[in-house]
Amino acid sequence: MASKKSSAAHNSRRPKANQAAPKQSSRNHQPTCNQRTYEILDYRLERPDFCIEQVGDGDQVRYQVRGDLTASPPPIRESRYLSRAQCLEIYRWMLLNRRMEAALENLYKQGKVVGGVYFGLGQEACSCASAYALKADEWLGPMIRNQGSLLVRGFSARDIMMQYMAKAGSPTGGRDASSHFGDIEKRNVVAPISTLGDLIPVLAGVALGARLQGRHIAVMTYIGDGGQSTGVTYEGLNFAAVQKLGLVLFVENNVWAYSTPTAEQFLCRDLAERAIGYGIPGVIVDGTDACQVYDAAHEACERARRGEGPTLIEAKMMRMKGHAIHDAAAYVPRELFEYWTRRDPIARFEGFLLEKGWLKVEENRRLIAEVERALEQDRDYAVNSPMPEARTAVGGVYCDPGCHDIKPKYAMPRHKARKPTSTGKASAAAVHLK
Amino acid sequence: MPQTTYLEAIRQGLWEEMERDPTVFCIGEDIGIYGGAFKVTEGFVDHFGPERIIDTPIAESAIVGSAFGASLTGMRPVAEFQFMDFIGCAFNQITNMLAKAHYRWGAPAPVVLRGPSGGGVHGGPFHSQNPETYFINTPGLKVVCPATAHDAKGLIKSSIRDNNPVIFFEHKFLYRRIKEELPAENYVVPLGKARVAREARGKRQIGVITYAAMLYSALEAAELLAKESIELEVLDLRTLLPLDHQAIAEVVRKTNKVIILHEHPRTGGIAGEIEAIINEEAFDDLDGPIVRVAAQDTPVPFSPPLEEYFLPKVEDVVREARRLAAY
Repeated sequence: MASKKSSAAHNSRRPKANQAAPKQSSRNHQPTCNQRTYEILDYRLERPDFCIEQVGDGDQVRYQVRGDLTASPPPIRESRYLSRAQCLEIYRWMLLNRRMEAALENLYKQGKVVGGVYFGLGQEACSCASAYALKADEWLGPMIRNQGSLLVRGFSARDIMMQYMAKAGSPTGGRDASSHFGDIEKRNVVAPISTLGDLIPVLAGVALGARLQGRHIAVMTYIGDGGQSTGVTYEGLNFAAVQKLGLVLFVENNVWAYSTPTAEQFLCRDLAERAIGYGIPGVIVDGTDACQVYDAAHEACERARRGEGPTLIEAKMMRMKGHAIHDAAAYVPRELFEYWTRRDPIARFEGFLLEKGWLKVEENRRLIAEVERALEQDRDYAVNSPMPEARTAVGGVYCDPGCHDIKPKYAMPRHKARKPTSTGKASAAAVHLK
Repeated sequence: MPQTTYLEAIRQGLWEEMERDPTVFCIGEDIGIYGGAFKVTEGFVDHFGPERIIDTPIAESAIVGSAFGASLTGMRPVAEFQFMDFIGCAFNQITNMLAKAHYRWGAPAPVVLRGPSGGGVHGGPFHSQNPETYFINTPGLKVVCPATAHDAKGLIKSSIRDNNPVIFFEHKFLYRRIKEELPAENYVVPLGKARVAREARGKRQIGVITYAAMLYSALEAAELLAKESIELEVLDLRTLLPLDHQAIAEVVRKTNKVIILHEHPRTGGIAGEIEAIINEEAFDDLDGPIVRVAAQDTPVPFSPPLEEYFLPKVEDVVREARRLAAY
């Protein structure tokens, strides 16, 4: 696995020889509280390098891509951890993810969907292989394009379809749309809100709550190349870092934030480099390679479970449709679609499995047919299910007495009071004002 | 008999809840070894340990967001804002992540957001605000504003036990100025219930609906007006969301003339909401227009003479009560 050395700019920040740390004996080594992580791991087998710029073209301004887009995709990188059975499971989730979204698009065109549809086309490996690394009692915070991760966590295609069709039987009873749902009981999923980055401190807090109950768990959430620009992203990840909370953050760099390309979103070369600024490990993976995604996710989750804190994983890929169904993505240079279509995560993984002999052609056909059958059933169920009754719009704003019995999920916190004193006296301190 | 300050009462309430329920923990800036900017949590880290008294970076969105996340695992966080003026930094997390969680996806958010608010301490525009009304229009939140030491203790306990996000506005002017004898036994004060702080007797009665530090301005005005045989019935709201409609209507029923007194600026203040409630539920009991006494429509100025002009005064209440009494 190649590792990406820090650039010359970072080298200048390394301690010089005559400023090296004093020699420490291994027996009484006193570590500093803070850490430096200059090494950014890069698991990719290719390093696409292209630049998207605005150009004035006659009397039209458009985006133009510069760079070599002729390369063929490399093979899938062998996973260090996944067995054949696990690979087939991930592959099936990716198939279901893809076909479910195709079904949603059809439902939209039939006028059965309320509002818009958001697609994770081209990002299925990232959604599915990442969530696959979590344990059942760990938590996930999906973003709008991570519908595959919801399937991995145990929601069904019908749950998601009913959300889009605003049905009474949807996980939110029609009260919210798309992937804005969750489950605090069994599947441990935190529902997102529409503003970006807000899940990050929340998932950090989930890990904090678990730690207060004696458990180091991995928690996982995502943020886009656009979303990571928000302040709350910084606040949340910095908090997780300094508190060493087991947050596995997938930065899904899919090149486009609505119509804004990465060249207009940030200046740094790779978003994984931001890990250096937080003092945490950073990894770059090819987001269209399910094995790379899983490996990075697995390692980060294990780190989290050892209490070593968060990891930032940048998954590079491209959003293969517009921002939502209404957006034809006419602003995307066609060459980019061609380049990334050759890197379709499902086609790549399918080829990998067939070539390894882990999947036979006939098996594959059966698997795809089974996925289609299950989807058809879910689709019919969802389409035929009722809309919510109007008066169910009210109620449930507050958790009234008897509504929820809130108990610690992992264990009752066992804290020993350090001093058996009663409340001490508050000293009369002058008001301090910033 | 021992007197307990308003601040000390909050400390006691918080301490008792932390002893009683191991899922309660505190999170905020400088609340650990420093004991909090106003010393509300002094001694807490020594007794409860740094795992339960967590010092954070300066990141209000992360403080609120992580508190919510912890509550999803069954914890009951109490998050401190060093000054409630900074609550704007977490506005999105509060109104969009926490307030809508139970309605949207059935996740209760048993989080208490507490901190010092209010003026009269020469704190200037960013250390004197009363931000409570920014949240009244957000279904899913509760907003609590105690005025007495007794209520501060009882309400912080109720707020912690409530399964909903509660924003607990402590009035910093009252922190050390109010001293009361508190009951020895364990008690709580329910959310959503106002309290009659002063009963009016006699023929000429004016109702004053108020809360937090302004309660004491109303009581002072009441002493002065009693000499002119104008009796004030003073209602301390204690909770702003949900408002105690019944208590509000009862004041109108009893006195027929009402003043609403609040420290935050006039326009868009809670008086407008209360007037609408009175209009809908007790209009026939009114014998005169509802009067507002509120702060100026400006940011809170810093220099003492400016701040004094900004804040509602006892004389304002007296003047308006006389005017209403003559109506």
